[in-house]
Amino acid sequence: MSPALHPGTLHILNKAPGHSRFITCLANLTNQDTLVLTENAVLAASDADTKLPEGTVALGADIEARGLSDAMPVEKQIDHQQLVRLTEQYARIISW
Amino acid sequence: MTTLIVIDQAPYGTWVGREALDMAFSLAAFDQPAALLFIGAGVAWLRRAQNAAGIGQKTLEKNLSAAPLFGIEQLFAEQTACERFLPDPDSRVKGITMAGSVNHLLEQYDHVVFAG
Repeated sequence: MSPALHPGTLHILNKAPGHSRFITCLANLTNQDTLVLTENAVLAASDADTKLPEGTVALGADIEARGLSDAMPVEKQIDHQQLVRLTEQYARIISW
Repeated sequence: MTTLIVIDQAPYGTWVGREALDMAFSLAAFDQPAALLFIGAGVAWLRRAQNAAGIGQKTLEKNLSAAPLFGIEQLFAEQTACERFLPDPDSRVKGITMAGSVNHLLEQYDHVVFAG
């Protein structure tokens, strides 16, 4: 029997802060949801104007590429395998 | 004829910015004075200690540091965007001129081109 799926929604966001879809995504988050920052969205880690939810994680390779390694705690940085495993745990996924 | 190329999109997520940088270098190669202005999320280009090997790309910092050699007259950055995305001046690459008013800067150039 497969494990019960997480009741919340997994949000995968690759838009930079200020992009309309970045704003819409953050406005749609509930406290049951998990936000994953990838590509340009990782800039939120150093954005004075963005308040990220507690459980937010980000792709480490994108964080490092943009020189943001010290702007995001290591335990909140995931690799691609971990992202795939996350997608297996949620019934509902939105790729923004 | 002077040209200002404006990069308003974050680095690495799209190829738009790199194409704009190539355009700037091409202009300079033909002795057409060109300058670059980074605004909004585009100022993220100017963060030091980038390492793009993990995403299979060349680090932009090296391209930018070559700009003066190629004859790119100046690199400008929008001050308010830097205060938002790069609050610590030490986290910014060297040789950037802060632009307090983007509109005022746009008026100084014959041609203004936005990347993408």
